[in-house]
Amino acid sequence: MVHYLRILRLFWSASLAAELEYRVQFLVASLASVMSISGAIFTFYLLFRTGGTAGVGGWDWHQAMLVLGMFTMLDGMSSTLLSPNLSRIVQHVQMGTLDFVLLKPVDSQFWVSLRTFSPWGLPNIVLGAALLVYAGWSLELRAINLVAGLGPVLLGVLVLYSLWFIVAAMSIWFVKVYNATEVLRNLLEAGRYPLAWYPLPWQFVFTFVIPVAFLTTVPAEAILGRAETSWLISGAALAVGLFLFARYFWRFALRYYTSASS
Amino acid sequence: MHRLFNKSRVLLSVYLAYMSEYRAELFLWALAGLLPFVMMGIWMQASAAAGDAMSMTPLDMQRYFLAVFIIRQMTVVWVIWEFEFHVVSGRLSPYLLQPLDPAWRFIAQHICDQIIRVPFAMLLVVVFFVLYPQALWMPDPLAVLQAAVLIALAFAARFLMQYSLATGCFWFERIGGMEQLLFMAYLFLSGLVAPLERFPEAVRTFALWTPFPYMVYVPAQLLTGIRTPGFHVSFMQGLLVMVGWVAVFFVINRWLWRRGLRNYSAMGA
Amino acid sequence: MPGVAPLRGRAYRHYNGPVPIIIADQLSKSYRVADKAPGVVNSLRHFFHRQYKTIAAVRGVSFTIEPGEIVGFLGPNGAGKTTTLKMLTGLVNPTSGVCTVAGHRPFARKAEFLRRITLVMGQKQQLLWDLPALDSLRINAAVYDVPESDAKERIATMANMLGMSKLLHQPVRKLSLGERMKAELMAALLHHPAVLFLDEPTLGLDVNAQSAVRTFLREYNQKHQATLLLTSHYMADITALCPRVILIHEGALMYDGSLEGIRQRFAPYREVKIELANDHNGRDFSIYGEVVAAQEREVRLIVHRQNLTRSVDRLLAELEVADLTVTDPPIEDVIGRIFTHGVGEGERSDKVTA
Repeated sequence: MVHYLRILRLFWSASLAAELEYRVQFLVASLASVMSISGAIFTFYLLFRTGGTAGVGGWDWHQAMLVLGMFTMLDGMSSTLLSPNLSRIVQHVQMGTLDFVLLKPVDSQFWVSLRTFSPWGLPNIVLGAALLVYAGWSLELRAINLVAGLGPVLLGVLVLYSLWFIVAAMSIWFVKVYNATEVLRNLLEAGRYPLAWYPLPWQFVFTFVIPVAFLTTVPAEAILGRAETSWLISGAALAVGLFLFARYFWRFALRYYTSASS
Repeated sequence: MHRLFNKSRVLLSVYLAYMSEYRAELFLWALAGLLPFVMMGIWMQASAAAGDAMSMTPLDMQRYFLAVFIIRQMTVVWVIWEFEFHVVSGRLSPYLLQPLDPAWRFIAQHICDQIIRVPFAMLLVVVFFVLYPQALWMPDPLAVLQAAVLIALAFAARFLMQYSLATGCFWFERIGGMEQLLFMAYLFLSGLVAPLERFPEAVRTFALWTPFPYMVYVPAQLLTGIRTPGFHVSFMQGLLVMVGWVAVFFVINRWLWRRGLRNYSAMGA
Repeated sequence: MPGVAPLRGRAYRHYNGPVPIIIADQLSKSYRVADKAPGVVNSLRHFFHRQYKTIAAVRGVSFTIEPGEIVGFLGPNGAGKTTTLKMLTGLVNPTSGVCTVAGHRPFARKAEFLRRITLVMGQKQQLLWDLPALDSLRINAAVYDVPESDAKERIATMANMLGMSKLLHQPVRKLSLGERMKAELMAALLHHPAVLFLDEPTLGLDVNAQSAVRTFLREYNQKHQATLLLTSHYMADITALCPRVILIHEGALMYDGSLEGIRQRFAPYREVKIELANDHNGRDFSIYGEVVAAQEREVRLIVHRQNLTRSVDRLLAELEVADLTVTDPPIEDVIGRIFTHGVGEGERSDKVTA
């Protein structure tokens, strides 16, 4: 365990050093985060204007902001860890460099999942957290509520990671599919809004097909202290199940890995 | 003239073969453009909840976002990534030594991408109409023609904007982040996340000065024939604004290209 | 020209022979690069406060090349070979100095100029990865306005020479490294350029592919009176193709002349191999010259030409020698020594006579 933590520190400090080469990028990433969150808040404002979605499914403005904050944080996390690492799996497979990873005395899933760290998602994490705090404060939630929400949030993170990893691991078979993870990312956009704001067929898809509901809506409800136990339990089961499946799936996929020639 | 024809014929036929090697990926890209369907769900529900307070009915919303999906598929531009790849991998250098502006290769790639991807997207539309037959409508032929003109201009404008940004690679190695900024403006001002008629007056007026609403909202309005009382953008206005923007971006693009090339060669090509 | 000291300044103006097709006159190129120490702390410091330094990649290089010549361009990694080639092809603008290729200033990259030259880079490729090479060739034919019938004929001829006829229909990614290079060559020569710049065209190829590429280039040169300037790490390429070589080291021109002349200039020493009648028993041979190897009875020494007679005389007088041979060191070794030691002839001879 300590061994792995030390490796992680080396990985991340090296990639941080590499990323700091790009100064303009930092400014751009921060600006992009600000624009993105303002745009999202603007969209929420449009929805609440003249009746719209106000109060539908029991989500008022500040409660909806909890969902948006949660989404923004997860989005930042995806750009910090998931996207830079998992989109590289495709590259590893294509160039045959997965060989080097597999030959290292470190768990290969750990390696490909956490190899790099991109600081450009951090502005989103910070802004998302700020939005959460603002919404929580406006709703006069106590700190204990936010802590109670922590469990479901972590489960949501696990769901997101496992989904992303499974899709990325498919590149072992479909070498040329660079963008499978981008499709996932676009569909996860649905998590920006509370599940109750969608018509029933959509709700079905976002719960059972692409479990977006467990990423943002369920944790937000937990923070509000009104999550149903059945949702929480199925969320936990989903997270653990998906994670175990992801691990199994990786080993399974590696059996079909033919290291690229030349 | 004959040579020009021959060049475009060969470029298109070869790149068509090239892009069809990536058909699975293009199909995924078509799927990655499903955001309008997410927004469709949100706005259908919102319009149902608001009732008469919103002039667009849930059915209008359904049609609007379907049109948005189609328009979006026909204006997908990714030249910046391709260009970045060419600069970083050094493939641009051999192309610079050929008596043909590399831009033509990128344009050919985009056209061939369209030819292969749009049928996929249309398949999705057909599936949608099977699920929601009541959403089917008969658009006005003239309006469809007008929308087609605007879509073509929208594609040209998006391409030129992104290509201009892409020349930033000549100065800064990574430029992808810049595109995010541009895309953000496009996303929120074009009508992709909400029909423009829902915007407050001031924001709407501002948006109409940018090229973005003419890339999505105006052609979508033409395709669906949805009229909002008290708010209407004519085809002519769209045409004039877009032609203006395309001209501006063309000039900017050529200027940046020339400056950038000089810098690129100063850095060692 | 062979053996002549590098042309200085505008010497070519007084030259009366045929008009050179490549003229480089005091070419220089310097880059500004960020200067950064490793580690996160230094990265952070670098993030806020950037320091740069200027690196002179090429410093005042001058030479001329006649039409039809094949010239080897040699130097260790980072000597400035690629930068020079990029200046001559017009990819890079010289910081100072002038070059003319086929009567054009390369950097303007005029279409007439581009049609007359080509650049082949061993590490970079222009072929479309996922398509058969033939498709990329078709594009190039259209780009260079080669009529379709001519293009077909040229492709067939070249494919024949390179043994590629059956491979042009396979996606490039399925080709071996050697086959890919051959296809790259075909793409680069389809428009029949008069001046060829080749940067490591045989890099990473196996011996057979290397020799096929060499033969092909020589035939192209003879058939079209084309001019070739090539860099290579493989001396076999140079010895097989280039009667003339240009040596460049740390951006400056070191030598321009015949391959044989290098030995004269930079290797004024011989290898002396002696076979002793008895074991030498740890005897010190360094008084006779620099010891390369000393086995039980066999000793190899390097001796400066000036001292050769004296050393041989002493060896024969002082030892019981069964056999003695004097040979020239191989050219690869000579050039290798110049680059690794980075020394001129003065230092070298001092060391040996000392």
